[in-house]
Formats: sequence, C-alpha cells, structure tokens
Amino acid sequence: MVQGRTPHHPGYYALPITCYDQFNIMKYSEDQLNLINKPLESKIFLEGPGGTGKTTAASGRLLHFLSEGVRADSILIIVPQRTLSLPYTEVLKGVGLPAGGTVTVQTIGGLAQRMIELFWPAIAEKAGFRNPELDLTFLSLETAQYYMARIVKPLLRKGYFQTIKIERNRLYSQILDNLNKAALVGFPHTSIGERLKSSWVGEKSQERIYEEAGECAVRFRSYCLKNNLFDFSLKVEFFFNHLWTYAACYRHLTETYKHIIVDNIEEDTPVTHDMLAEWLPHFKSALVIYDTEGGFRSFLGSDPVNACKIKEVTGENIIFNKSFVTSSNLRAFACELGRSLHRIKEKETGDIRPVLIFKPHRYHIDMLQWVSEEIEKLVKEEQTKPEEIVVVSPFLTDSLRFSLMNRLKEKGIPVRSHRPSRALREEPEIQCLLTLAAIAHPAWKNLPNSFDLSYALMQAIEDLDLIRAQLLAENLYGKKENKPFLKSFDTISTALQERITYIAGEHYEILRIWIERYIEGPPAELDHFLSRLFGEVLSQKGFGFYSSLEAGDIVANLLDSVKNFRRIIIDNEEKSLGQEYIEMVQEGLVADQYIRSWIFEEKNSVLLAPAYTFLMSNRPVNYQFWLNAGSMGWWERLYQPLTHPYVLSRQWSVNRPWTDDDEFDSRERALYRLTQGLICRCRRKIYLGFSELGEQGYEQKGPLLRAIQRVLSKLPQEKLNV
Amino acid sequence: MFKPRLKQEYVLNYRGGKMGVSAVPGSGKTQTLSYLAAKLIRERIEEEEEEVLIVTLVNSAVENFSARVSAFIQSYGLLPHTGYRVRTLHGLSHDIVRERPSLVGLSDDFYIIDDRTTEQILKDCVQTWIRGNPYALLDFLTPDCNDEKISWLRRDKFPDVITEIARAFIKEAKDLQMTVTDIRNRLDRYSEKFPLIEMGLAIYEDYNRALSYRGGVDFDDLICLALKALKLDEAYLCRLRKRWPYILEDEAQDSSLLQEEILRLLSGHEGNWVRVGDPNQAIYETFTTANPKYLRNFLNEPEVTPRELPNSGRSTKSIINLANYLIRWTQNSHPVENLRNALVPPYIEQTDPDDPQPNPTDNLSKIKILLKKFTPGEEREFIINSLRKWLPQNQHSTVAVLMFKNDPASELVDELKKNKIDYVELLRSTKSTRDTAGALAHVLGYLAYPAYPAQLARLYEVWRRKDRDEEEIKNEIHRIASLLKNCQYVEDFLWPRMSKNWLEDMGLREEEEIYKELIIFRDLVRSWQKATLLPIDQLILTIAQDLFADSSELALSHKLSILLGQARKYHPEWRLPDFYRELSTIAKNERKFLGFSEEDIGFDPEKYKGKVIVSTMHKAKGLEWDRVYLMSVNNYDFPSALPHDTFISEKWFIRDNLNVTAETLAQLRALYSDSITEYKEGEETKKSRLACASERLRLLYVGITRAKKELIITWNSGPKFDQQAAAPLVALNSFTAGQKNI
Repeated sequence: MVQGRTPHHPGYYALPITCYDQFNIMKYSEDQLNLINKPLESKIFLEGPGGTGKTTAASGRLLHFLSEGVRADSILIIVPQRTLSLPYTEVLKGVGLPAGGTVTVQTIGGLAQRMIELFWPAIAEKAGFRNPELDLTFLSLETAQYYMARIVKPLLRKGYFQTIKIERNRLYSQILDNLNKAALVGFPHTSIGERLKSSWVGEKSQERIYEEAGECAVRFRSYCLKNNLFDFSLKVEFFFNHLWTYAACYRHLTETYKHIIVDNIEEDTPVTHDMLAEWLPHFKSALVIYDTEGGFRSFLGSDPVNACKIKEVTGENIIFNKSFVTSSNLRAFACELGRSLHRIKEKETGDIRPVLIFKPHRYHIDMLQWVSEEIEKLVKEEQTKPEEIVVVSPFLTDSLRFSLMNRLKEKGIPVRSHRPSRALREEPEIQCLLTLAAIAHPAWKNLPNSFDLSYALMQAIEDLDLIRAQLLAENLYGKKENKPFLKSFDTISTALQERITYIAGEHYEILRIWIERYIEGPPAELDHFLSRLFGEVLSQKGFGFYSSLEAGDIVANLLDSVKNFRRIIIDNEEKSLGQEYIEMVQEGLVADQYIRSWIFEEKNSVLLAPAYTFLMSNRPVNYQFWLNAGSMGWWERLYQPLTHPYVLSRQWSVNRPWTDDDEFDSRERALYRLTQGLICRCRRKIYLGFSELGEQGYEQKGPLLRAIQRVLSKLPQEKLNV
Repeated sequence: MFKPRLKQEYVLNYRGGKMGVSAVPGSGKTQTLSYLAAKLIRERIEEEEEEVLIVTLVNSAVENFSARVSAFIQSYGLLPHTGYRVRTLHGLSHDIVRERPSLVGLSDDFYIIDDRTTEQILKDCVQTWIRGNPYALLDFLTPDCNDEKISWLRRDKFPDVITEIARAFIKEAKDLQMTVTDIRNRLDRYSEKFPLIEMGLAIYEDYNRALSYRGGVDFDDLICLALKALKLDEAYLCRLRKRWPYILEDEAQDSSLLQEEILRLLSGHEGNWVRVGDPNQAIYETFTTANPKYLRNFLNEPEVTPRELPNSGRSTKSIINLANYLIRWTQNSHPVENLRNALVPPYIEQTDPDDPQPNPTDNLSKIKILLKKFTPGEEREFIINSLRKWLPQNQHSTVAVLMFKNDPASELVDELKKNKIDYVELLRSTKSTRDTAGALAHVLGYLAYPAYPAQLARLYEVWRRKDRDEEEIKNEIHRIASLLKNCQYVEDFLWPRMSKNWLEDMGLREEEEIYKELIIFRDLVRSWQKATLLPIDQLILTIAQDLFADSSELALSHKLSILLGQARKYHPEWRLPDFYRELSTIAKNERKFLGFSEEDIGFDPEKYKGKVIVSTMHKAKGLEWDRVYLMSVNNYDFPSALPHDTFISEKWFIRDNLNVTAETLAQLRALYSDSITEYKEGEETKKSRLACASERLRLLYVGITRAKKELIITWNSGPKFDQQAAAPLVALNSFTAGQKNI
C-alpha cells in the first residue's frame, strides 16, 4: 500500500487484528509500527511535516486498539474539519467491529452540539437563555446569515458601515466570523470591536466601523439568547463555558471516552486546545498529531503556536520527518522556495528541474489550454489515474472552473470540482423547481417571466427543446391581478398544438393539472411541496428528472436547505416562508450542504479546487498543477475589512498595532505554509501555469511568481523544463 | 540596437534624483525612457524585490514600454519581465490597494465596477434626485422658458445636464479627496445656500451608497484609495519605496493632482523620479483632472535637473515648420491674449543628417490646408475620394484620418465600408473587440428568440463570418442563409419530429455539401440551445469555444463572461434579451471596453500599410503615419474663445451662456479652499472657455505632428451649416501659402 493514502479496501481490516502486522508488514514503516505498538496506555504527541505518515500511523493505532479489545465507543477521534475525518471513517468502514458501539469521530463543534442536545434543559437558564422551556435551534451558516441580515439591514438604513465597501452577504458573514473567533479564541464577544480598534493604524473612521461590527455582534447574540438559537459561536461558547464546567456533562464525557486521537491539532482552535489540555489527563491513552508546517486554517481561528502547549500534557513526543510522499527533488524545490520566501530551511540535495514544469503564456485562456493538454498527456500517454492529478488555484471563479472542466471533459477526462460557495440560484434545476413553486403559489405574487418558465419546462419535460418550451410559455402562461397561472393546452390552436407536439402537450397538461389541484388545496410547506412535485411528477417517466441522478442530488440539497430554513424561521406576517426563501436564493444564498457531494462524488477524476480546499482534504497526489501562479490571490489575506484573523488570535496582544511589517510577514508566512503544504502532498511533479495577463486582463506578477523566479534564476537556464 | 543621440545621452546619464524632460513629438522619448529603465535595472537594481516603476498614461502604451524594456534587458542577458513594472495610474493604484484592501475599508474580494455600470448607477441617482427636486435648476434657465418648455426640459434635457454636472462633481470631489461628510460639514458653516453644490452632494452620496452596496469601487475611487493607503500607513509606503527605488513617468504633461501626489509620496523627498512629457501635448485637461501645470511646476523646482529632447526625425522639414509656426502664432498672434501660452517652446528641431532616424525628404506640396467650406457629408466625400486616389499608389505607406470626436469618426467608417476601402478603427472599442462582442451578441440574440428563421439565418452567417472573403464560399453561405430564412418553423429543422423534418422535406439530401453543412450547424445550435440553462457566464464560454479559435478572441470572451456574470449578480432579473443588449452596446461601439487585440494593447501603424486607420486625435497620440488627414477643424470642435465661437458645455437653455458644470466645480473648489464667499458667477465659464480653446490648440498640434510626410487638413460647417474654419486653421493656411510662394 502506498503510504500517506487512506486504506479503503473493503474488508481489508476484517482480518484478525493479531495477524495484522504479520500479514501487512510492508504497510508501515518501522517508525509507524513502533508508534502503533506502543503500550495501550501511552500519551503521545506525534509531530512532523505533511506526508510523513502520521495519519496512517494513527489509523493503524486505532485498529490496534480495536484488535486489543478496546471498546469502540470508548474511543474519541477529534478532527478540526469534517473532511479530515474521512481517513478514519474509511478505515472504520472496513473493520468488522466487535460489540461495543462505534468510534466517535467528531469535530469539536459536532461534539458541542451533541452535548448541548443532551444537557440543554438543565443548564440553559444559567447560560443566559431567556426562554429555556422552549426548544432550541441550531443555525447553519445560511440561517445564521439570514438572522444576521435581519439585524443588520435596519442599521444599514441608519448609516452603519457607510465608509466601507463590501457585499452584503460578506458583511454578515464577517460579523459572524468575529463572533466565531471570539468563541474559538476565548475572549468575550463584547470586546470584538475594542480589540479590532486597538490594533488599527489607519483612518479614524474605520474605528467607528469596528464599533458598529461589535454592536451588531452583540445584538445578534442577544437575539439568539432570547430565541434559543445556536449559531456556531454560541454552540462553542456554551460548550466550553457552561457544559464543560457542568459536573454531569464533564462526568459524561470523561467517563464515556477513555482513548483519544486528535488529528491536525495545529488546525484546531485555542479553546479546543485548552479543553484538551484539561481533558487529556482523564484519558487512558492519547495520540495527538501535529503537522509542523500546517496552520492553513488560521483565517478560521486555528492556532498552531497554541497547539504546541498540548505537548506539556502528553508524556511522550515522537517526531516523523521522513516523507513517504515527496521525492528528494521536490524536497529540494520546497527548500529553495522556502528560502526564497525568507524562511530558513535545511538544505536538501536534489534537482528541481525534472519536477517543476512550466510554460509562460500570454493569455489566461492559453494557460488553461496548456494545462488541459498536459493532463491529457499524463492520463492517455503515461496512464496516470485521473485521481492522481489535482489542479489548484488561489480562487476558483465560475468561468475558470467551467472553462477548464469543459476542456477536460471534451478530452474524455473525468473531472470534479470542490468549490463550496456556489450560490443556489446558479443551479438550473433549482431555478426550475422554484419557478414552478412560484406558479403553484399565486398568493406569493411572485411572477416568473416567460423565459424562466420556458427554461423550467425544458427541464421539467423530457426531451422538450427550447423552441417548443418557449412556444408553451408564450402561449399558455398568463398573469392576472399580479398572480401567475397556466392555461390548458386545449386552449391553443391545433396548428400550434402540432408545432409543440401532442406528446409535449400531454406532459405539460399533467404538470399543469397537478399544479392546479395543488392550488385548490391548502398550501403545503415549501419543502413538502417540492418533495411532492419531484416525487409525483418530475421524477416520473416522461419528465425531465426521471433519469438524472445528479438532479436528484441537487433536489435533495435544496430540500435540506429549505427544511433547515423552515425549522428556524420566525413567522413573518407579510411573507410566507416560500417567499422569504426564494428572496434569499435570489440574493445569492449559498447552501451549506456541499459535504454531501464531497463524499459521494466520482473518485477517479481530476480534482479542481482552491488550494486551501485541496490542502484540507489532506490527500497526496502524483501531479499538481498550480494555476495563475502570477496572481496576487496566492498571498491575499481573506476576510477583510471587518475581521482580522491575526489580531483576533491569542498570539496577538491587545493594544498592539497591526503594522505593515506584520501584514507583509503574515502573508509571506501564509504563502510559505501554503506552498510547503502543497509540495509535501505531491509525489512526482508540479506544473506551473501562468499567463502574463490574468482572467480580467491585468498583468500578473504576484509574490509566488516572483519567489519562483528567484528560485529559477539560480538554476542553469537551458535545462529548465520550459 | 538603439543608438542614442546627444540630447538623449544627457537623459541616459541619469543616475538618481529628480529629473524633468521636455520632449517634442517624435523625439524618441519612449525609446529613451525604456533604455533608461533597462540601464537602471542592470546598473542600479540591487535587491531581488526591487523594480523600476514606469508609469504611463494609457493601456496601449503599457505593452509598448514593456516589450521595449524587456528586449533591452534580454540583450544584457537578464531574465525578461523582471526588475520592472509598467503601469497606468489605474494599474498602479490597483496594485497598491490590492495589497492592503482593508486599510482603506475594502473587502478582500473588492472589484472595480466598470464604466458602464457606474454610468448607469449615476443616471439612476440623477433620476431619483430629479424626482425628489422638481424645481431644480429653475434659477439657471433663460427667462423665455415657460411652463411647457420647462416641463419638456425637465424630461428631455435635465437628466443629461445634471448627469454631466454630477459626474464632474464626483470626480472633482474625489480629486480633492473630499468625502460626503467633509463637504456637508463645510457647507454647514455657511448660512447661504449653494444649490449646485447641494445637488452634486446629494447625488454623490447616493452614488457612493450604491457602490458600497455592491462591494465595489469605480476607477476614480481606486486612485483616491491608493493615495489614502499611502498616507495612512507610513510603513507600507516605506515598503513600496523600497520596492520601487526608481520611478519613470511618461506623458507627465497629463498628470493629475492625485497622480502627482501618489508619485511624489512613492519617490519620497530624496527619491529618484524622472518625469518626461511635452506640455504642448497636454490634451486631457478639460474632461479629466489632468493639468500640464504640474509638469511645468516640477520643471521649475530647484532640485530638479531639467533636460530637453528637442530633435525629432519623425516629420519632414515642412511639417515641422508648420507645427513650430502654430507655436509661434499662438505665442505672438493669437487673437485672444490669454491663450498665448497655450503652446510653448521648445520648438521642434530636425535631427542631424547622420542620425539613425533622419527626417524624411521634404516636400512642401504634400501639405494641404483647405479652407473650402464643406458640409460634413461633403467633407467625408472629399476624404474618401482623396483616399481612393492615393491608396492604389501607396500600398506600402501608412495613412490615418484623425478627428476630435468618436461619432463623426464612426460615420466615416460607414462610408469607408460602403466604398470597400480597407480600414482599421481606433475608436472607443476596437473593431476586433467589437466583432467578438458582436458575434457573441448575435448568438445571444438568437437564443433569446430561437423560433425566428431570420435570426437563425443571421446566426449561420455569424458562424461562418470568417469564410466570407472567398466569393464562391460567400455565395454558398448566402444560399444556405436564404434557405434558413425561409424555414417557416425553425423547430422542424432543429428538432424535427417523425412527421415533419424540414431538412428531409426540402430534399436537401441530394446536395451533399449543403446537407452536411446544415447537419453540423444544427448540432451546434442544438448544443447552444441546451446551454441556455447555464448561468450567463458559462453560456458565453460555451458559445465562445465553438465560435472562436484565436487566443485573443477567447481571452476577450472570457473577460466578457466575467463582465456579464457580474451584471447578473446585481441584476438577478436580467434574462437573455438584457444580456444581448449589454453585449450589443459594446459591439455597436456605444461603450468602451478594453479587449486583448493588438489595437487595444499596443498599436503599430506599420503593420497596417495600405489600410486606412480611423482614430480620434486623442487615441492617435504617440503614433505616426506617412499621410495624415485632420478632419472637422472648425470653430465648434476647435474653438478659440472668440465671440462667435460656441461651446459644447454651454447649453442654449441656460441663462447668460453659463457653463453650469464649470460653475459647480468652481463652487466646490472654493468651498474646499474656504473661499466660497468670493465666488462670482460666470467667471469660471469664461475660464473654462479659455481652457477648452487652449486644449484644442494643443490637440491640433498633436494632430499635425502625427504626420511624417503628408498632411491634409479640412473643416466642415457642422450639422446646421453655421460653423466656420477654426482660427488657427486660417493662420496655418496663410503660413503654408506663404511658404509655397517663397
């Protein structure tokens, strides 16, 4: 088995665990075996750079526990992000677990939610909730944004946030992010504004903006406490401040779990570290894993410096530093690039030239063409599995994603893309469903135009072309007293019926009559309506969603999103839930259900993803393509101007001004981490794509490109892989 | 290899400090500056992070500079594209802001809202304001305006006038770095009312709010914010100073106050800053905040080393004499005394006979200044006839027709088209940009209304647009398009059902070539119809991949897809007809859009021998042709501030011939300098007449100095036949006649 990959061979681990090493001696290195076979009651801090087999060793130790008869339900695995749990859940899938429940694999947020559900009534009042007798609701990212919007919109009309320029949705998400940072770093949310202000060196007017952001956070929190709403920040705060100190909960946790594995602790947050530091002494065994060059989620509150203090509570420190992934040539590249970014790295001997392939291009589009051709060569001529290729870019615009995916698909190369923040309104299937929903609810007085209806019909009725769909929409769709309605197919001339065809007419009639009957009855909840429309009509033979699995998946996402929304919505006398939901979709709501497609997607395909997203999947590949190497995006700090990942961290002392030197250094450090993280997850070659002019036509000379140029300028020119 | 002449050597001997260079047209300043940049990179740039920063005026010059510097440094054995950065002021500001967006209150994903969108936002704000202020501007109307007329003006004229005022007001306020609150606070100090400022301020406030909502900035914001960032964070400024230890500024005569401030900050007190320009070529003063006084003042600063590049090998002796005469006439004989400094020495000097760029052989008869009164149509006809005679004998020469405004230039283009004369445009957007946008617009237009046979036929022609040059293929394309036009029910061709299949029913199977062609076309249109479900940006990319093969066309489509994707974001109600209209405005040249073609990013006239280049005089700056026509040199396009001159900015319905835009700006500036009580109505109108006349004189000078060997200048009497030959034109005519007599 290749090191660093997650084993997912079904039944592989169902072998008697005692035979494990004997049968699979090649699987692990000596260092890994040593770690796996440590006495059960060891507390170990395992550190090393990416690609050195830490997670593989931890999976082995997990299996070792199980083979030694440790009860599965006494094992807790903590990861900072759901995607990072995949190596463990996949290992566990293959194991025939003995009796004793299941291993808990959770993020700290997930664990917090479980505990809140368990202990809510007992502690609610003490935690400041004003109506503890009522049910509690957990907010998703989208529903939290919805409530934040309700709080902020009236303030915007009063002139709040006047001197900054930011899209509304990002404004809401940055205030939420501040709340999350306060919770995860462990300072009161009431001090957000003050902390940001105290580090500010710029114009005075910005200080008012920070105060306003702080005020919105306070108002939001107060609203949540009044209505028993748990956004992520409150969930975390409630867990750490109230449940962790609540005897029953504390007892429950410390008595349930006896063994713990914490992976990627450098990507986790200070309060998690604090809690673990207190909790670890209660476990019989612990394995805490630290990626020495990680910290990619610092913009989300992760704190690799703080994570190191866990070392003090574990008994033993083990270091892995032999990479199972990268070649010496790639390590030499990592070293030179690190030096070029002013980070001292131990000198590696190796030749960069065979592992760094690049070709300068004039236009962005030429670069995409080159990338697709090189991928085609790798797959077709060198028989590389598509899953061994990843294309990363600092940002993934819709146009870039679409252009490259199309080019690869045309060449017959399977490709998938991870880009979580895709607005629901961009999905044609969702547009179709919501158009039909609007027509089925005339009381909403939401009038889709005839273009929308023709596109909806094109999708709803199998094999219906654009022209006939338009003929249907133009001739059978009407609006009366500001309400939409559909006319019967029989009302148009025979000649027109013939043009549209009777088959299409028949299906149109089924749909129309279904909607008509629905209108006659009492309106259902939006998710119930959509579910019925899909189940009773659109997924039936002769209708558009009949043979599309993908459409089914998108509909399921939509239903989840609506359900989620319905659970939390507070009655609005002016608008129904459906109306509110549709407005939110039109405002660019992003569904947070993407994990579904993440898990169930086609695996053997080229992955196209933002660089950080790829890193957080923690999966090495043979070939990486770095797109837009000249883009400034490679070192831009996300989440500005209302929040600040460094100032709102524990490493920053209050009142210390954030200077340009700090800015430059933090960015360079982030670029260093990012590139090192990428290189140590690459086995063979890195292809560098860059064009003089970027997507928008601007010249590209960003810091990554300059850093690489510095590396290249030290190499003999004629031998480069240009 | 570049062999500098003596005066160029003086410039190239620069080692540091501040230097100002006055360069006449054709003196090789781009070449000299590029060479200087390369020398500095080789000799002075020590750290890897350091770059020579070259700031120029327009996008088309960026590419030109970049290519030249790159070639020079490669000849030194250095890596290309390293050690320097060429930027327009906007590009530089973008770099500065992009690196520290939060410093100036921007989100990390801030974006620049393009001109069309900002223009639309501005118009919306103006409409809102007019609705809320029905009695606005009444005090400024001529006394003969009755209620009926006023109501007509309010409906038909006010929106444009107020938009113009608001646009200028916002630009000026940003240039002065006055925020809405600043202006409001200053106004509050006075009990007196200033309705023009109040109006500008209300619209400015509304406009800003609209931009904030979108999370974007306009181009002017970008420059203000860059300056603000530099002022706010000393450490950031220091870092940038370290990065750009040498600043070379081209076209410094068109520098604005903000540009000067930014570059002054970046270079620092002891810094290295070279400014090159020609005060006689300052042609952006009246519609931007540029002003040649900044360069003039700089040249007079004690620590600045002044240099001159007076030699030009571009034009014949006679053309140089004519240009020099225009300077002399302006200085000594201009009928309006206040305009006598509009053009200033140095005069253009010829190069030495052994110069690598000697002046072309002189021929005075190749200069024609026609005082004959043409109507606009007659003038076009005259030019077309002249070109028809000249082109066949001069297929290896270059020629351009230049004029002041875009619209008459487009009319000339139509005439050239009719007369089948090969041409290239340098107007708002270039022809290739417009062709690309146009082809995409046609496809969207069809997809919006796919059942129309005429649209389908047009779509077919668009698809085959590049094959229309060959007569035989052209006939075939025409035949197929006619067949499609007569297909009554398009769906019977594209999506036939059992009983009706147009392609089969027409018996086309026997004509194998046509049949095959139609099958291919059908498949293509089907795939595009299916793609209508995609978001607009993806639809554009899908179409572009089928429609274009050139990288520049594909790159432009990509850029257009992003533009329309953004438009969709802020106009969720937009559907295909709206996107079609949006692309059409670019295709029809109603809107500026910077593409990727050679004309957009660096035009070389030498590549278009035997073709007519049609351009505005502004766009022609920096370029040269063997023969140049200057059209429409009348007293409307080139006024001289004489009593009979009329000015575009003075509206007939505004009393006392006031230029309300100029008056508004004067009030704003007075408010800024705390001297508003000294403001006197009408004074600024007079000043702006002088400024306009002064700039047009320089524009004429720029036009003349584009010609290498031959020059023809004409004028027309305008749409109402009441205009006259411009005063300098009459003077030039007399001069030429005198020369010829000698």
